[in-house]
Amino acid sequence: MNHWQHIFVGLCGGMGLLALAGCGPSTSNEQTSGSTSASSGMMSFPVKTASGIEMIFLGGGTFTMGSDQESSDEGPAHKVTLSPFLIDQYEVTHEQFAKVQIPNPSHWQDDPRKPVEQLRWRDAKLYCNERSLLEGLTPCYDEAKEGWPCNYEANGYRLPSEAEWEFAARAGSKDRYPVGKRALNQSAWFGDNAGKRTHFVGTRRPNDWGIHDMYGNVSEWCQDAYEEEYYASSPEKNPRGPEDTAENNRRVMRGGSWKSSVDMCRVTFRQGQQTGDSDACFYTDFCGFRCVRSISEEDAKKLVSDTSSE
Amino acid sequence: MMIPKTSFYFALSALFTICVESSAETVKERLAATPYHLVYEKYADNNWELFVSKADGTGERNLTNTPDQHELYPQVSPDGKRLCFVSDKGSGRNTVRSVYVMNMDGSDRKWVADEARQPCWTNNSNTILYLPQEYSKWNVVDYFTKGLVYYNVETGVKRRHPNSDKLHHLYNPSMSPDGKWIVSTVHAGMGFKHAILLIEAEGDGIHSLDIPGCRPTFSPNGKYVAWGPGDHEIAVGEIDWEANPPRVKKKWLSVKDKVNKVYHVDWSPNSAFLSISRGVKSDGDLSKPGTHQSACEIVGVYAKDWNLITVPLDQGPEIDLSKASADQFHQITQDGSSNKESDWFTSAQ
Repeated sequence: MNHWQHIFVGLCGGMGLLALAGCGPSTSNEQTSGSTSASSGMMSFPVKTASGIEMIFLGGGTFTMGSDQESSDEGPAHKVTLSPFLIDQYEVTHEQFAKVQIPNPSHWQDDPRKPVEQLRWRDAKLYCNERSLLEGLTPCYDEAKEGWPCNYEANGYRLPSEAEWEFAARAGSKDRYPVGKRALNQSAWFGDNAGKRTHFVGTRRPNDWGIHDMYGNVSEWCQDAYEEEYYASSPEKNPRGPEDTAENNRRVMRGGSWKSSVDMCRVTFRQGQQTGDSDACFYTDFCGFRCVRSISEEDAKKLVSDTSSE
Repeated sequence: MMIPKTSFYFALSALFTICVESSAETVKERLAATPYHLVYEKYADNNWELFVSKADGTGERNLTNTPDQHELYPQVSPDGKRLCFVSDKGSGRNTVRSVYVMNMDGSDRKWVADEARQPCWTNNSNTILYLPQEYSKWNVVDYFTKGLVYYNVETGVKRRHPNSDKLHHLYNPSMSPDGKWIVSTVHAGMGFKHAILLIEAEGDGIHSLDIPGCRPTFSPNGKYVAWGPGDHEIAVGEIDWEANPPRVKKKWLSVKDKVNKVYHVDWSPNSAFLSISRGVKSDGDLSKPGTHQSACEIVGVYAKDWNLITVPLDQGPEIDLSKASADQFHQITQDGSSNKESDWFTSAQ
């Protein structure tokens, strides 16, 4: 077998084990790569970044975003085409926050493996920049300009666009609950099973692309401004939300949280959350996030081989 | 709970020394009759400076006048002779915040500590306490602190609070006049989501006062605490020191403003007035050198159109600033140039 065949076999084995185990963040350095989803025809594989964070490479593609059957802001359902990107396999944790030495505003800091929460939108962007610098990448957010605008061309970390988030959450599924409504209890910490608090990341089953906690635990900030009617005018290729104006300080939040109902954990559910950026203290203890990074498939595979050769 | 009006005024006359009793006098006239001054931070000519004025706002002057350095967060010693404050150098993520102390006339400026913030005086006027930053890396957020350090300004000796290892994410500490307690806000630290705490000055006792909000400060006689229950309210409550642990008995004064944010409350030395920073909600203006982006009430964030006001405490249990007439409060500053963090003092000279 050549190198990639080895990796592909490894991935199949790894995903099988994940499916059997159903929980637990990986602590292994083993890298697997090169799976093409049968349902979506899209390439996906796990990588570990320079600072040791586990991410999933998603090869991009076209999918149907939104729904015509739900709340008005979730429609119309529309085609979206995305470029390849990496997305965190888990929500950002206290441990990761401490590593970049920025203030952690979270309520439940009793275990480093829990996700950060009570995060203002800007807190999440600051973490993205710090993680980029830690790994020698170019930060996406310009901290010297009002609102810290995002440079999507930079190779550093940023918040996912709303479309990237839904693409990753669907994992090729067209269903309202990609993990199955009945299976939500095994795949998410939400209002029915979370006991009114957050939980260790990765302790529920991942979705079909190996991504954990896309539903529940903490709701996740996206980069996009929130606008109810945006889908009606959203561009097909790499949509990045409506124009970011000073008047609109709501940003998209996705996925539901430890306090959400089953209904709020549907894949198309949208929430427009105040950024909290002009609040000294932000008490909204369900607001967390995960990072993404724009990357080509070739560069993502280099990340796999770099880590494998360590 | 509303306090009966008669009880309220009786309590006021019994508990406070009201300097001027004539209701015909305006608030400004009442302030002008006091021997008090205010020191505060202001953004002037692309620079943070400390300004002083008389209590009625007249005679304003730039105390620091250092175009190459930013000075903020002034705190006057109980004897009125010295001032501690923070100074920012650098910009953006290269900013370093340090604590300094100097005489009230600006002389004998001494460096105290780098990567430290929010100093305040103990009751003896010889010692300040300050909060070291949580990490060396810069962040403007106010709760970015870990530990608590005492600094003797006479000897230069630093001493960690006996419970310093546990003190995490405190901000805006203030010491009781008897020197036994520190009152401080905590955000996302020590197991608290957000709380106002009483901390033993020389022990390991920590008690939540079970009041919402932030930035508490003791009255000069130690019987009361003033704080901000939210963005649009300043409250005053009596502390029950006989209770174990001590607690705030009731909120007997509320200063509200439905339109503007009200922050940074401080007591006049005779406990008859409160000074408050007041202005619209914003998150800074990065075009101004030496400023940062966050909630505008935070130290180092430019607060557009923010001014200082003074409110007398003898006006009843609730004052609505958005409806109040000009004779119910007095605006100390007029220029709206990020006037914040005022501290009262009686000139020692």
